[in-house]
Amino acid sequence: MKGVKIGLEIHEQLDTESKLFCSCPTDYRDAEPNKSICPVCTGQPGSKPFGLNEKALNAVIKIAIALNCKIIVGKPVQVRRKHYIYPDLPSGYQRTSESIGVEGELNNVQIHEVHLEEDPGRFFLREGLVDLNRSGTPLIEITTDPVFDSPPHAREWLEKLASILDYLNVTKKEEGTMRIDANISLNNGNKVEIKNINSFRNVEKALSFEITRQEDLIRRNQTVERETRHFDEKMILTSPSRKKETEEDYRHMPDPDIPPLLIKKELVEKIKKTLPELPQSKAARFVKLYKLSGQNAENIVSDPYAADMFENVSKFVNPILASNWFVGQLKKTLNYNNMTLRGSKITEKQLAALLKMLEKGKITERAAELALREMVLRPADPKKIIENLGLLEFGDLNTIIKEILDKNEKAVNDYKTGRKEAFEYLVGQVMKITKGSADPEEIRRLLKRRL
Amino acid sequence: MKLNEKVNSYLANISKSKLNAFISINKHAENDAERIQKKIDAGKAGRLAGYVFSIKDNIAVSGMRLTCASKMLENYISPYDATVVKRIIAEDGLIIGKVNMDEFACGASGETSYFGPTLNPHDTGRVPGGSSAGSATSVAAGLSDVSLGSDTGGSIRCPASFCGVFGFKPTYGTVSRYGLVDMAMSLDQIGPVTKNVSDAALILSVINGSDKMDNTVTGTQQDYTKFVKQKITGVKIGVVEEFFEGCEHAIEKNVRDGIEILKNEGANIVKVSVPKTAIAVPTYYLNMFAEFSSAMQKFDGLKYGFRKDGKDINDTVAESRSALGEEVKRRILLGTYITMKEFRGKWYSTALKARETIRHEMIQALKKCDLLIGPTMPFTAFKLGEKIKDPVEMYLADILTVSANLSGLPAASIPLNVSGLPIGMQLHANAGEEVKILAAAAAYEGASK
Repeated sequence: MKGVKIGLEIHEQLDTESKLFCSCPTDYRDAEPNKSICPVCTGQPGSKPFGLNEKALNAVIKIAIALNCKIIVGKPVQVRRKHYIYPDLPSGYQRTSESIGVEGELNNVQIHEVHLEEDPGRFFLREGLVDLNRSGTPLIEITTDPVFDSPPHAREWLEKLASILDYLNVTKKEEGTMRIDANISLNNGNKVEIKNINSFRNVEKALSFEITRQEDLIRRNQTVERETRHFDEKMILTSPSRKKETEEDYRHMPDPDIPPLLIKKELVEKIKKTLPELPQSKAARFVKLYKLSGQNAENIVSDPYAADMFENVSKFVNPILASNWFVGQLKKTLNYNNMTLRGSKITEKQLAALLKMLEKGKITERAAELALREMVLRPADPKKIIENLGLLEFGDLNTIIKEILDKNEKAVNDYKTGRKEAFEYLVGQVMKITKGSADPEEIRRLLKRRL
Repeated sequence: MKLNEKVNSYLANISKSKLNAFISINKHAENDAERIQKKIDAGKAGRLAGYVFSIKDNIAVSGMRLTCASKMLENYISPYDATVVKRIIAEDGLIIGKVNMDEFACGASGETSYFGPTLNPHDTGRVPGGSSAGSATSVAAGLSDVSLGSDTGGSIRCPASFCGVFGFKPTYGTVSRYGLVDMAMSLDQIGPVTKNVSDAALILSVINGSDKMDNTVTGTQQDYTKFVKQKITGVKIGVVEEFFEGCEHAIEKNVRDGIEILKNEGANIVKVSVPKTAIAVPTYYLNMFAEFSSAMQKFDGLKYGFRKDGKDINDTVAESRSALGEEVKRRILLGTYITMKEFRGKWYSTALKARETIRHEMIQALKKCDLLIGPTMPFTAFKLGEKIKDPVEMYLADILTVSANLSGLPAASIPLNVSGLPIGMQLHANAGEEVKILAAAAAYEGASK
């Protein structure tokens, strides 16, 4: 698409035990509304922020390093107040730090800056209710330059970013904690911001709708207003926000209650040492060490859990065979069941045993696939699964073939005299006995070997 | 006298008093007195056992109202204790009640309270000074032994001066502000209002020191009591000539007499100059307005406090804020204006720079001497209603007190031994050197009796 410029602002909750400026726990999801609160995070008169949660700061530094940012070292970083009135914001201002990392880059996308801020509570407009359990939870905000040229580009990159965050293991794991603001302009026109989108798929949908909407306005010689819009998931369209954010002046002011942060070089060095191997270098290593295709390697490393399991399984079976199963049948089966590998509870021992049986020719691919489907839902020893499902091991298939050949001397002779249909008849006989659990290709191969 | 008898007599005096010093009375005061008396009898009581405190009504006491003398918080009950309150209770101090003040500490006279003005016990036709009006009045009128006030631009020292009691504003960051309702976060400090210096030193010793609930407090807890009797021989005291400009004649004369007494006690008196005193008032007000407008954002009527429903959220907030008094609204509006994107360069940024200039000058002056001395207020207590109509004139009353806050320095107002309306003499010291002020104040106190 020509002239499309998209920038993203990503908010993700950091995985700390307590809130950013008080000691309330952050695992508010299981708590009753307004139970995980104190005078600080509810903005009671006279309350003050405690010291900034160091774990949250360290998490932001870690992410900023992984995103190749320059960390603001040795220079005071202020925590500022961003003023606005909304029922979910108990103090009437949100505390947000100045940039902690700047000028980063990930997959050819420039990262403008990274900083720390506090999450507001939640306001249920229709019911008129407020739940402040979330209020004060630490958030990282990552802002990119407006460099995406299409909605799919933005979505693909977000998936890369999510994978990196997954590796760093300092953000919340629960679904739906990431919120994205996307801004978009066409042909250097006015910028429209779509706020608070809750999934990558919706980012793509919202942006696609915006492009169509703006193109339509331009075609009709109407101006695209500079405004904030909201994405309606059900209607798949964007509409102007109630709050006229662009006109608002947040009156940013350093928070006198919080002394400026001073990030030391030694701290950055120390955090650098805790960085895990990140997906890009891991993929390169997989290609070199295990001779995987680049595509398979990239696919596997996008999930750190899968990458670790793959490496362990590869100790027992051929890595290429393993990689094909990871990106093929395993992924397909998990997706079909709407599960993640971690969520499935399959152990690497079970998976390795299954692939080992396949590798040794004890079961057919077809049987392995059927066993895997069962294993994803009810993880167990593959031998037992195969037995329970009545799937035959490969050794048995040979016995069956021998029996069929013994019984059908006429067909064998017909085949040997050049009658092709006799072969298909034999295949059919084996299929009949194995009740479809054997792979027809496998049967053909074994038959040919015997004849 | 047993503590319960003392508390009963205070309670009787408070209910008879026409000074309007109290907003709320501690319902458990008599029980508390009995409990503490038992500890005293058993010889197991804390350092503040026997002291009856009044607490300015912008400091949180769990289970009691925290009104800030505003309609906005008329029925707000604090769910928690301020750190200073926790520490006082831990040392067996008794809280008898919460005292009147200017609404949200906006005022220098004690007249802007939603609950009506507090009166000066020396002349009920005059103001007690503000904003810690009830703190000074309750101590001066014998309605409590001691009090805690708060000082943002002179709010402890001004009423101490007008009511003839001792008032101390510690170095910024010495006493935890957790539980003190914000006026201007970078200027506010809690401090004692007492009849004598040693009580203030004792209270200060209990309430100071780091607190994980207030980031701006840094030092570990100090004991100031042992320094009160220290001799001041050779202590260099700088007389700031600018502090006398525009002062009433009686004030100048009496303060200079007070300085003479300190000289007789062995102090070395020198002259110093702080010419930037001339810009102290506008600098203070602009800085304070900006922070105050931010601090007041939370009073939106949506969570607690006065609420008047409007047609939508913004309207409800606007309607609810009609509960705020004129002076409070004026300061919010001015603070909002000067921090807006369009005007901050002209106003707020300039005010921050001016603050730095004043701080620098005060610190330079204190390099030449141990203490700076002058009057606390340029005049004695004025008549009720005299200045309330003219905010600018009221603001000018703060000219001698705001520099300590802008510079983060400790300062105290010492009651001079005069007949007629009380006069306060003010001492400033370097950051963290409260002991020098306490020693000099105690020396004056001892010599002037």
